[in-house]
Amino acid sequence: MSKKQKKIVAVCATLALSFGIMPAVSAMHIMEGYLPVGFCVAWGVLCIPFLAAGLFSIRNKLSENRRSLTILAMSGAFIFVISSLKIPSVTGSCSHMTGTGLGAILFSPAAVSVLGVIVLLFQAILLAHGGLTTLGANTFSMAIAGPFLSFAVYKICMKLKVNRKVSVFLAAMLGDVFTYCVTSFQLAMAYPSESGGMAASAVKFLGVFAPTQLPLAVIEGILTVIIVIGLETYAMPELKSIGFIKEKEVY
Amino acid sequence: MITIDMLCYYSRLRYMNAMEKFTYAVLTLLFCVVSRSLAMAILVLAVNGILTVKKGGIPFSRYGHYLMIPLAFLILSTLAVIVNISPTPFDAFALPVGGSYITASYASIHKGVQMILTALASVSCLYFLSFNTPMTDILSVLKRLHCPDLLVELMLLIYRYIFVLLGISFSISLSQDSRLGNKDFRTSMRSFGTMVSVLFVRAMARSGALYDAMEARCYDGRLQVLDEQYPPKRKEILWIIFFESLLLIFTIWSRVK
Repeated sequence: MSKKQKKIVAVCATLALSFGIMPAVSAMHIMEGYLPVGFCVAWGVLCIPFLAAGLFSIRNKLSENRRSLTILAMSGAFIFVISSLKIPSVTGSCSHMTGTGLGAILFSPAAVSVLGVIVLLFQAILLAHGGLTTLGANTFSMAIAGPFLSFAVYKICMKLKVNRKVSVFLAAMLGDVFTYCVTSFQLAMAYPSESGGMAASAVKFLGVFAPTQLPLAVIEGILTVIIVIGLETYAMPELKSIGFIKEKEVY
Repeated sequence: MITIDMLCYYSRLRYMNAMEKFTYAVLTLLFCVVSRSLAMAILVLAVNGILTVKKGGIPFSRYGHYLMIPLAFLILSTLAVIVNISPTPFDAFALPVGGSYITASYASIHKGVQMILTALASVSCLYFLSFNTPMTDILSVLKRLHCPDLLVELMLLIYRYIFVLLGISFSISLSQDSRLGNKDFRTSMRSFGTMVSVLFVRAMARSGALYDAMEARCYDGRLQVLDEQYPPKRKEILWIIFFESLLLIFTIWSRVK
């Protein structure tokens, strides 16, 4: 090896080591100022129909029963809090759940999209995760794409009469994985690679974030199952009141 | 419990007019993202640092610590932008692996540095807002900007209840800790799950109680809150106009060039 190559190897080794002791692995928020302005606007505009639909559905629900306002607010705070709590992890670094998968199967994906924007805004301002200009892109991946997929997976599994625990696990995990894929594609679209264009760039982003995001998705899946088991044990009346479990179902 | 929220109540810029702070932070952020120039990023980073640390009185160590938070994302994704795997080596460096090279070009390294600095400068704009403005003030600005009432009301309630739920979750995890609830990976997974499900039960019970309390105080579908008004100062407005027009000229110049 020439001297230059040795230097490069040393730099790579230092970088690899620093990933090993990375203090915080949060869910994949695109940070403030990382996307070019065109993409910020485009993703923001893409979110508007979902948000409008969410707001209208909330408004309808409120006109039926005003009590649901405080329930919605509580759910929003609940999603924020579980996404800000440290979850146990194997390596000892601290990481966080997204919480939106659980939100989507407990409440509805439309409501979660509105709550998701609020939660993401609070995360940007209070926790410095994500940002104002990337709010649109983050909303699309975390509050729209992930929850809608989670909800779809959960419904399909229920239709196919898959065990509830398995379907909750699949819904939460796949929702997380999907969020991570969508974020990688968002980054790849903004920064196509010099050799190979967008597809190559997407592969690079997927690869770089895989070691932190994939274990996180599995852990989030397991945790969501434990939470749902806990809810079924302690919180039957509340689950019925938000419509997660129909009155007739017997356990 | 949320450090940023605690610090912003101590900030010396807290009683500055919230609209001014909001306008300043958002405009600077926009110029940063639109121009993406190195010089401007450094200028904005410096100005925001001075404003937050010197004027606002936020401890420098805290500020620096918070600037480091997005670092993991920044390093990983910038690495993905800079480094390429290609059959032909580029000009900056190239490591041969099998038939192809792990390689990067000077142009992409330049772009990477530009991205890192722009991102840090934008984060400093966000921090200027969040370290110096309490959330309730930001909400009153959103209300003045004609954000839908329903959304602002939800935000107000959510903001309040974040702290209630955090308090509950903190005391539950404390008691779990003191009963060896986190002694290994298995138990800590179980503890976390039970904690969240109890949190959900408590949250639902609280939301019922909250609604009853609101109803008892003649809640009719609208939350009315008084917000404190701090009138804008002419000197501050002039400074903001001066700085933003400087940035505007700079942005146009860097775009034309």
